[in-house]
Amino acid sequence: MGVVKAWNFFKGYVIIKVKGLTLERFLNLAATNDIYLWDIRRIDYTELEMKATIEGFRALKEIVNKVGCRVEIVEKKGLPFLLYRIKNRKALGIGFILFFIIIIFLSSIIWDIDIVGNEKVKNEDILKFLETEGIKSGIIKYKVDKDYIEYLLLNKFENFSFVSVEIKGTKLIIELKEIELLNEEIDENTPSHIIAAKKGVIEKVIARNGKAVVRKGDIVEKDDILISGIISNEGSEGFMLVHADGEVWAKTLYSYKIEEPIIKTVKEETGRIFERKEIKIGDRGIQFIKGDIPFDDYVESTEEVNILNLNINFPIKILVHKYKEVETKEIEQDVDLVKEKNHIKAVEELNKQIPQKADIISKDVKHFVKDNIVTTYVAIEVIEDISKKRPIN
Amino acid sequence: MDKKVENIKYNISEALELPKDIVLDLPKITIIGNIQINILNHKGIIEYSQEILRVNSNIGVIKITGNDLKLKTILSEEIIVNGIIDKIELIS
Repeated sequence: MGVVKAWNFFKGYVIIKVKGLTLERFLNLAATNDIYLWDIRRIDYTELEMKATIEGFRALKEIVNKVGCRVEIVEKKGLPFLLYRIKNRKALGIGFILFFIIIIFLSSIIWDIDIVGNEKVKNEDILKFLETEGIKSGIIKYKVDKDYIEYLLLNKFENFSFVSVEIKGTKLIIELKEIELLNEEIDENTPSHIIAAKKGVIEKVIARNGKAVVRKGDIVEKDDILISGIISNEGSEGFMLVHADGEVWAKTLYSYKIEEPIIKTVKEETGRIFERKEIKIGDRGIQFIKGDIPFDDYVESTEEVNILNLNINFPIKILVHKYKEVETKEIEQDVDLVKEKNHIKAVEELNKQIPQKADIISKDVKHFVKDNIVTTYVAIEVIEDISKKRPIN
Repeated sequence: MDKKVENIKYNISEALELPKDIVLDLPKITIIGNIQINILNHKGIIEYSQEILRVNSNIGVIKITGNDLKLKTILSEEIIVNGIIDKIELIS
């Protein structure tokens, strides 16, 4: 039925009043002449009210003459009449059209470029590069070739392993992943040194090529040359550049410090909950506030209510903020237990840092108790390969 | 003569299971609860007011009594009446 109504609105119709004595005859004639009339209502003995299409109304004139009744228009409805009225109010019509044009225009422009996932390469560098390629805020989003941007970025920045370009509304989102370029592969023919990747005490030097400049027991700092790629000939002034190769094993130290208070404040829920509702449309939210939160200490949690049980990202969401009242309690922990916990935690942390190839030689654990705080210091000594190649320039 | 033709028509529609309203040119009256009546194949309105609607047809006059009767549509073949219907009479 809604479709018919919409169609009638679109085509335009009139509500008319017919006055006369033989109104049944009028209706029958209209029906046989294929004039569509609807919603006919008897008002009183000599009056009918009905709806007719614009063409129908014109065709009625003939019947009206035949039957001898009077027709008057009560109301004109529908789009054609609306347009006719707007014709006389040009400014309104123009404003209406302008409004849509502006909205469509503004929403088809990229206003913001978001870069997600970069760690080493700075945002500004990427933005600057994109700007030289003509991609900056203010361009029309239909002109953005996503695949081309991906291709450009992957080509320009060698340490990007993955780039995805997405347009969300007026935002251009560039998501990327970087590869770690720790041991840059250096061609075997380029002359290079072997340098220390980190500080340590040299344990063993195996120089396959080049000249070892450190010996067992030497303390080296980061970036010190361990095996030199410059070999000088004895007796002559000249020197040779080679590609140094080898392993340098050194004792290195990994340490970790943890502080943990003995008296700990713990928040405990009392069970009283205060709720607030919020309607979220896109990123914007409207909160319905009914009074202040009646608790001094509380924990906030947010829940989303699914309006439609659909698995789609519906732009309108209802959020319920729950404020749970909490009581802070002080708990005194056992000192030995804290020490033990800290120790385990520190070793776990260190295990993440120590490379797998390294051999652990010793472990040192120290606890200090001072002013309610237990400080645990764990140091692990390992022997590992600290060699790293660097080309000679 | 007319009766004979009608009889033949009736028999044919019976034999071939054709809908009788079409073959015999009879009105088809559909009533939905007590709020709507659909009359197909009518022969014109005789009287219409908010309480009484009389429609002519091949089998005689169909008289509908009720309250707030409104003619939702009138076409040459079909009448749809909305309102609260109390009574339907066939007067032949």
